[in-house]
Amino acid sequence: MRKTSLLERIRRFGHAGIDVLAAFGRSTIFLFHALLGRGGIGGGFGLLVKQLHSVGVMSLVIIVVSGVFIGMVLALQGFNILSSYGSEQAVGQMVALTLLRELGPVVTALLFAGRAGSALTAEIGNMKSTEQLSSLEMIGVDPLKYIIAPRLWAGFISLPVLAMIFSVVGIWGGSWVAVDWLGVYEGSYWSNMQNSVTFTDDVLNGIIKSVVFAFVVTWIAVFQGYDCEPTSEGISRATTKTVVYASLAVLGLDFILTALMFGDF
Amino acid sequence: MQNRTLEIGVGLFLLAGILALLLLALRVSGLSPSPSTETYKLYAYFDNIAGLTVRAKVTMAGVTIGKVTAIDLDRDSFTGRVTMQLEKRVDNLPTDSTASILTAGLLGEKYIGISVGGEETLLKEGGTIHDTQSSLVLEDLIGKFLLNTVSKDAK
Amino acid sequence: MSADNAYAVELKGVTFKRGARSIFNNVDIRIPRGKVTGIMGPSGCGKTTLLRLMGAQLRPSKGEVWVNGQNLPKLSRSDLFDARKHMGVLFQSGALFTDLDVFENVAFPLRVHTELPEEMIRDIVLLKLQAVGLRGAIDLMPEELSGGMKRRVALARAIALDPQILMYDEPFVGQDPIAMGVLVRLIRLLNDALGITSIVVSHDLAETASIADYIYVVGEGKVLGQGTPQELMNSQEPRIRQFMTGEPDGPVAYHFPATDYRADLLGKR
Repeated sequence: MRKTSLLERIRRFGHAGIDVLAAFGRSTIFLFHALLGRGGIGGGFGLLVKQLHSVGVMSLVIIVVSGVFIGMVLALQGFNILSSYGSEQAVGQMVALTLLRELGPVVTALLFAGRAGSALTAEIGNMKSTEQLSSLEMIGVDPLKYIIAPRLWAGFISLPVLAMIFSVVGIWGGSWVAVDWLGVYEGSYWSNMQNSVTFTDDVLNGIIKSVVFAFVVTWIAVFQGYDCEPTSEGISRATTKTVVYASLAVLGLDFILTALMFGDF
Repeated sequence: MQNRTLEIGVGLFLLAGILALLLLALRVSGLSPSPSTETYKLYAYFDNIAGLTVRAKVTMAGVTIGKVTAIDLDRDSFTGRVTMQLEKRVDNLPTDSTASILTAGLLGEKYIGISVGGEETLLKEGGTIHDTQSSLVLEDLIGKFLLNTVSKDAK
Repeated sequence: MSADNAYAVELKGVTFKRGARSIFNNVDIRIPRGKVTGIMGPSGCGKTTLLRLMGAQLRPSKGEVWVNGQNLPKLSRSDLFDARKHMGVLFQSGALFTDLDVFENVAFPLRVHTELPEEMIRDIVLLKLQAVGLRGAIDLMPEELSGGMKRRVALARAIALDPQILMYDEPFVGQDPIAMGVLVRLIRLLNDALGITSIVVSHDLAETASIADYIYVVGEGKVLGQGTPQELMNSQEPRIRQFMTGEPDGPVAYHFPATDYRADLLGKR
């Protein structure tokens, strides 16, 4: 049995740390080359549309279904808790604020990372392992512009749109439970909500959050695919990394953004 | 052709997004495309503004006629000075009107309610409402209640 | 100093390092124009790296890579883009673009590098596919093709712009005898009919030797030997002998380095 001395362990730990830094540096250069520099979006508008479809439209089902269910659960739980304070009428604003400020952007980003993010990583990793990316290079096309850039922009555009759709269907789902089932007065559900939800503070901040998340999740997904070991094991490891890193990043950024937006600085 | 369906799908997707945004703006947050009405500024001094925040409503007879734009401490009188912007069309407030800090509902937020006085002279831009009633602080209420009960028992 | 016209590709004093490991040390390789040259060697000796150096996908740590009279590592981005028009590469797995059909795959280089009208592109694609015998598969998707057919379509794509140099990366790996025969025939045919220079990287001795005019054997970071297939077969150099005859034990040892056998068996384990 090999005994790893303490020194050896420290060395390995430092090595791993340097690897992480190196990967971060690579991913920044990667992003820079893909988004900026000559070439714009390779493949033109048509490719972007194609990617928007596969990344955005295909995620609609899971987002809408999740949104409706989460909205309904929020209304249900909220009603339970609020009735002990005699404030059932506030359930509308509770559902709306929770969705707009937090759950809308965050849950959509997490679901997106799992569904679209892992699909992107797997697709690009597969292209790498079957040497399609090398072929593009040899034909003289920059794979960063032709393959990566459209997917990046598709993610940047799709996620905020999905987050808004999530919030909207969630609020409607909440209204079915609250008004049609639990008997909250329809007028008060909506008017209390309108009174307490501000466009600039709540809706806009939620949108800003989802734009930030879109940037981070898509960047991680696309880079992990591009950087992976071109073997099937490498691809599956990369897909796992995408989901884990993206999720952690979303939750961490959410805290920072919430503190900045809603904290009292 | 496959391309057409793709494009239509994406178009609908983006349309749904814009629709969602509009819904959120109008029905959920109650953003109303109201014409920016002209406003004028009024001040009011309170002993205690506890709980009142900037952007709180200013109402009269329950109708919203403006909002609070600033709250600061007046160094000389040690009272809280509240700055309000009121709609120009409500420009006939007598100088002895009262401004009170009220609570909306039991746990609700604070807002300012104005009740008219009887004077002939009217408040103008930059004017001050002198007759004010401060925010009801829970501790004072409890104190008052206890005092009452004690004095009743003492009798 | 531009390269000799007799040589399409010249590697001069090329050193390539990956991290601390030196893959190639001061290597000189000259690929004669118009001929089929094989680059062979044991697995992991860096044959594919050589191809990538020639195609300017990798940069040498030291040395020059001259292709068609241009020193590739020194070229600007746009010059490199133009240089790629004259090179065709057939990758080991074919590397067809999975979301495009056969026609679009072969037409891809044409669309990227030329502004030809649709009808002309169609004619050229038909020509190339006919050359590899797959004109009938023009509307199929890559997933509907067999492995051998994929490689042939990839070959049609590689010759779409009529390159002067064609590089083949392990073309014979995992092919059945018929597909093998087709490929071998095609490589030689294309080379002679189109007057191009072909570079075949492979470790399939029999196939490569049957069509190559000249062979380089590489290993241990340098050129172990070079010559016509006949010359190499008669070589007495031990490492080349072992490679050519397929001897299990020789300069490339059979046993992985280990401690004394007896001590291992009898000692503590």
